[in-house]
Amino acid sequence: MRPWRGITVSVVMMLAVATAAWEIYCRSLGYAPTLNDTGDLWTEVRRRVEPESLVIVGDSRALFDSDLDELEKGLGKRPIQLAQPGSTAFPVLADLINDQSFHGTILCSVVPRLFFAPPGSPPMNRAEKSVRRAHTQTYAQRASHDLGIYLEKWFACMKQDDLTLGALLEQLPIPNRPNAHVPPKLPPYFASLNRGRRARMVEQCAQPGKLQDRVKHGWIPLFTPPPPPSFIPPEKFGKMMHDAFEARFADTKALVDKLRARGGKIVFVRFPLSGDLKALEDRTTPRTTTWDRLLKETATPGIHFEDFPELADFTCPEWSHLSAGDSVEFTKRLVPHLRAALGAGSVASSR
Amino acid sequence: MLFNSLTFVVFFIVVVSAYWSMRSWPARKNLLVVASYIFYGAWNPPFAALLFGTTAMDFYLGRIMGKQERPEARKVWLVISVAVNLSMLGFFKYGNFLLENFQWVLSRGGIAYHPPHLDLFLPIGISFYTFHSLSYTLDIYRGVLKPTRSLRDFVLAVSFFPQLVAGPIVRAGDFLPQLAAPPKPQQGRFFWGLLLMTLGLFEKIVLADTLLAGPADTVFAYGGPLVALDSWAGVMAFAGQIFFDFAGYSICAIGAALCLGFHLKNNFRFPYAAIGFSDFWRRWHISLSTFLRDYLYIPIGGNRAGAARAMINLMIVMFIGGLWHGAAWTFVVWGLLHGSYLALEHLTKVIVGEATWTEHLPVKLLLGLGTYFAVCVAWVFFRAPDFTVATRMLSGMFGGHPHGDALLGTREILQIGIVTVFMFAVHWSLRDTTIEAAVNRMPVWVLTGLWTFMAAAILLTQGNSNAFIYFQF
Repeated sequence: MRPWRGITVSVVMMLAVATAAWEIYCRSLGYAPTLNDTGDLWTEVRRRVEPESLVIVGDSRALFDSDLDELEKGLGKRPIQLAQPGSTAFPVLADLINDQSFHGTILCSVVPRLFFAPPGSPPMNRAEKSVRRAHTQTYAQRASHDLGIYLEKWFACMKQDDLTLGALLEQLPIPNRPNAHVPPKLPPYFASLNRGRRARMVEQCAQPGKLQDRVKHGWIPLFTPPPPPSFIPPEKFGKMMHDAFEARFADTKALVDKLRARGGKIVFVRFPLSGDLKALEDRTTPRTTTWDRLLKETATPGIHFEDFPELADFTCPEWSHLSAGDSVEFTKRLVPHLRAALGAGSVASSR
Repeated sequence: MLFNSLTFVVFFIVVVSAYWSMRSWPARKNLLVVASYIFYGAWNPPFAALLFGTTAMDFYLGRIMGKQERPEARKVWLVISVAVNLSMLGFFKYGNFLLENFQWVLSRGGIAYHPPHLDLFLPIGISFYTFHSLSYTLDIYRGVLKPTRSLRDFVLAVSFFPQLVAGPIVRAGDFLPQLAAPPKPQQGRFFWGLLLMTLGLFEKIVLADTLLAGPADTVFAYGGPLVALDSWAGVMAFAGQIFFDFAGYSICAIGAALCLGFHLKNNFRFPYAAIGFSDFWRRWHISLSTFLRDYLYIPIGGNRAGAARAMINLMIVMFIGGLWHGAAWTFVVWGLLHGSYLALEHLTKVIVGEATWTEHLPVKLLLGLGTYFAVCVAWVFFRAPDFTVATRMLSGMFGGHPHGDALLGTREILQIGIVTVFMFAVHWSLRDTTIEAAVNRMPVWVLTGLWTFMAAAILLTQGNSNAFIYFQF
């Protein structure tokens, strides 16, 4: 007969001590309690969309650089934040616009490498996964999410991107075979997130230092076009990519027309970027063949940060996103341009 | 509701606390019925009605069958039960598969037929609860079980939440007798149940999801040729993943049931230490293999009509077993491969007889490795989404793509290697014993440390809530 009660009590006590020690260690590394940007949190926010809502879609730049309070003040309606890191806006746009009841306003961030990502690519998969979750979330998943939120609010060690066993293993400095097609690693933790999905860059990343450098240098491999797969002839692959690129223009135009026919509005936004990342984006996805063409073909207003000195006057500390403080100021300066782009009544409010 | 979710933690604490605080045995059984339907309905409430419908039908058919004196009359009611259960399973699980194949057959004859795609949701765990329920009427027909008079007891036997959606396939005949009298609270049994739940979650969350699922998914999703190392690493990752995923669920289910005072039979017995394929199937998904043995293999003749007939019967059983796993020809090929392995083994035994030299350890190890190798080859068809991927993977595994791509990072290959070696070491060292016996031999400090380590690793993974692979079956 084993002393089960004693064993169980010992296990619980050791577990409590280990958890407390791990929490203290994580905080000493600079982690603070924050929500995880999960498909369930996205679903919770997606559920708030009403027929006349103001919705932000797109990538992490829209997520970090849009201050929801300033947008609410300036546009008269609190926006719903549906932008997701490393994802294309397209599946979310399609999901919103194919909902016949929706005739609100959409602010759509465009990072060309993400916006024009072909079907089956990671940016498409991420966005589609969230949309799928929003349509298939079970009661049990919803309840788990609600319970998890309370833990995430209290424990810094709950940060899923960096501090899970899987994430910790990924950080091991083990060199790969020279010929292995291993995808580049995602940057480490550098933001906090609240329940309305307002993301703010953490101060540690906004200031020069180790974390900022790690994040900054993470972007170049992520935004560098991968080599064509070995098993598809280059010319065939080139044509496939070209076709997918062209299809995205046509599909976006069809969606925009559909939204407009119902009285909805949309404006495209190009958020700031800096340094080597800007040089890389300018080189691999030139403005004329992406942004300018998108606005022309969809006949949609757009705000490119480079077109306005007051918007171009920002530096992204890690090249891709604004600091928390700058995001508020940037949004303040963006609002008048949004009002102008959206025209009379600014935000769509009636059919 | 998934075992690896916060909702389940809260649900289980509430159910266990309420269950043991109630004095009335009927009230406790009512509680378990309600809890089981909440557990199931938390996915998709309307499917709980379907579950109840299937259960109630078999309850009444069982009652009618029990009253029949003549075997012919009993057979009629059995046929009705089997037909309705399998039709339900066929409609939801195989509807589109049958239509697609019908379309293909017509197209071979030059007839262009375009059936509408049936937009069906597969009720989770339908293959499991259909078998739970079907075992009742089958056992009444065979005369090994008397019909129960309580609909509530039968509903609980079919829907008991620990085993409801992914097994083990618990036969009504094994569970109903446990409902006759309330289990006495036993501290040791309760804590043993908790330990098993921890072990099951560790296998699922840490070993299957965190260490193996990623590389397996990467390899099987790749659209091009892979070198042998990556192909083998992907297949071995999947071989480990599916074991830890499914065995993890079964152990959790057994543990949860124990916490409530019920005993469910083991579903796995260290299968990767199997020597030969009949040994493998005595160790892998035992509740399914014994179900197929008792209700299909033996009724169609088993090995009673000679070696040739036994081999055909094995192929029939494994064909059905493959199809049970999923509505795709890749599953059928997986089943037929195992059928042919079993048939060949049967033939070898007939020809060679019992050879004493196979009892030496090095020979056993060699045969065990051979079994694992063949099982891995079969897993390719189980995991691959189609035959193009399966054949490309097999080609890679056997050196067909020396200039193929390398896809996995060194860390991932190391993870697969370490977990596989660890898995082999555990399976081989415990192949002739049970987890319970091994734990009983363990010094207290080792047991305490091991339990803490597993629980800490689960917490560190933050219990990501990937669904169990077998839910889709």
